[in-house]
Amino acid sequence: MRLSVVSAALLLAAVPAAADEAFITEQAGGAVSVLDLSTRKVVARMPVDGKPAGIGMAQDGRFAYVTSPEGKFVSVIDTAARRVVRRIDMPDAPLGIAVDPNGAFLYVAGFYEPRLYKVDLARGEIVATLEIGASPSGVALSPDGATIVTADRDDNQISIIDAATFTRRSVVKVGRHPFGVTIDGAGRRVYTANVESDDVSIVDLRSALSREEAPGVGSLVATVPVGQRPYAVALAQNKGFVTDQYGGTVSVFDLETLAPLKRIDVGEYPEGIETSADETLVYVASWFSNEVFAIDTLSLKVAARIPVGDGPRSFGTFLRRTR
Amino acid sequence: MAARIGTCLCFGLGLVWLALAGTASAHGPVRQKLTEKIEINAPPAKVWEVIGSFQDMSWHPGIAKTTGEGGNTPDVAKRQLTLASGGTIDESLYKYDAAEMSYSYRIDKVDVKVLPVTNYSSTIVVLPADGGKSTVEWKGAFYRGYPNNDPPPDLNEEAAIKAVTTVYKAGLEALKKKVEAK
Repeated sequence: MRLSVVSAALLLAAVPAAADEAFITEQAGGAVSVLDLSTRKVVARMPVDGKPAGIGMAQDGRFAYVTSPEGKFVSVIDTAARRVVRRIDMPDAPLGIAVDPNGAFLYVAGFYEPRLYKVDLARGEIVATLEIGASPSGVALSPDGATIVTADRDDNQISIIDAATFTRRSVVKVGRHPFGVTIDGAGRRVYTANVESDDVSIVDLRSALSREEAPGVGSLVATVPVGQRPYAVALAQNKGFVTDQYGGTVSVFDLETLAPLKRIDVGEYPEGIETSADETLVYVASWFSNEVFAIDTLSLKVAARIPVGDGPRSFGTFLRRTR
Repeated sequence: MAARIGTCLCFGLGLVWLALAGTASAHGPVRQKLTEKIEINAPPAKVWEVIGSFQDMSWHPGIAKTTGEGGNTPDVAKRQLTLASGGTIDESLYKYDAAEMSYSYRIDKVDVKVLPVTNYSSTIVVLPADGGKSTVEWKGAFYRGYPNNDPPPDLNEEAAIKAVTTVYKAGLEALKKKVEAK
């Protein structure tokens, strides 16, 4: 017993400390690639068919969950083993996806029906279904896992859902065609990237939840203009970072003053965007140029551009902490 | 239909009549992209002279007429293309860079019977190539014509890609001929 523990420790010591990784859904290439974020190289690639697009990373980084809207399934990826270990069939085209912090459930938006599905990961099947607004795209969870927010794109609204009861608590109208949705680390504010109105809506989550008699009124706290056809929002260093698909830029604004700070060129059709654990970098998948960009969140400059496979999207949470 | 395909390499090619009007905003979940390129035996400036005006698409054999306003000013300029095969396409310019010889535009309105795509955007750019020649790249990003689940074959992804590829190839080949004949 003791011997085996010692030899295991020695084995671990022989392996260099792993760097954080990015899991990139390559929709046109039909794959998910793994980027080592210290060497900034693709170190693994696994085939995933059905046109993979959305991704949710488990908080402990052990599993990543990838939606294939054309194939109508979710692939469960063992991140360390670099392979798909399970496929969960969906009744509709899944796009946005979020993983609850305990790793027990997935919340998956079905694009056409439109429904939000609660998937029990132990059972590998849908255990609850909730009707939400038209063409739900992004799905986000509050840090405590208690509240789910969906961007109901074609209804120009977000749905705010109580995770425990899986019921909708509130609906808030935002800009035109919200796509990506992000909740801040304090669980205080929701940010939507509105594709057709070229802006970001900011919603106060607590006031939206406390208004029981007048849902959808009064909790939209601000609208921030950004570049053309915004897709998703990341938050870092008290700044908002927004991928502008047509603009080919990341728009940066101050979260307090809401003043625009900069637009950073990042290749063509930037889509998925997420902040590194230490908030020093924001990673962006540029769909047309087949690159991932790293942006320094202090200098607001491109720190790296990394070639990846065809059609990277990584819509959701795609960064894996390994330390 | 077959005769038209044979005689006119243009917009509207290969489409079966379908009484389905997609709205401009709804679309399927999987965006498509493609790039067509051609090398032209002329310096980039000569090529840009022909394609550099957003208000003049007469270099494309599928276009019978271009009308519009706003010149080459991004977010202002609009044009309507009238196709040789009938039908119109309304487009607006969202990027224009004369120094880089590149512009980007999107389709605001088109019937899927004319071009089976939704949420189409495109960039055309002239790049310098070896020996004083040019390469023209025409890039498109778009969704299939059918915005809902389970598209019919003529409005699926394959149909969209085929139609856009045909438009780009026909345009680039005609452009090459026109510039090299000068």
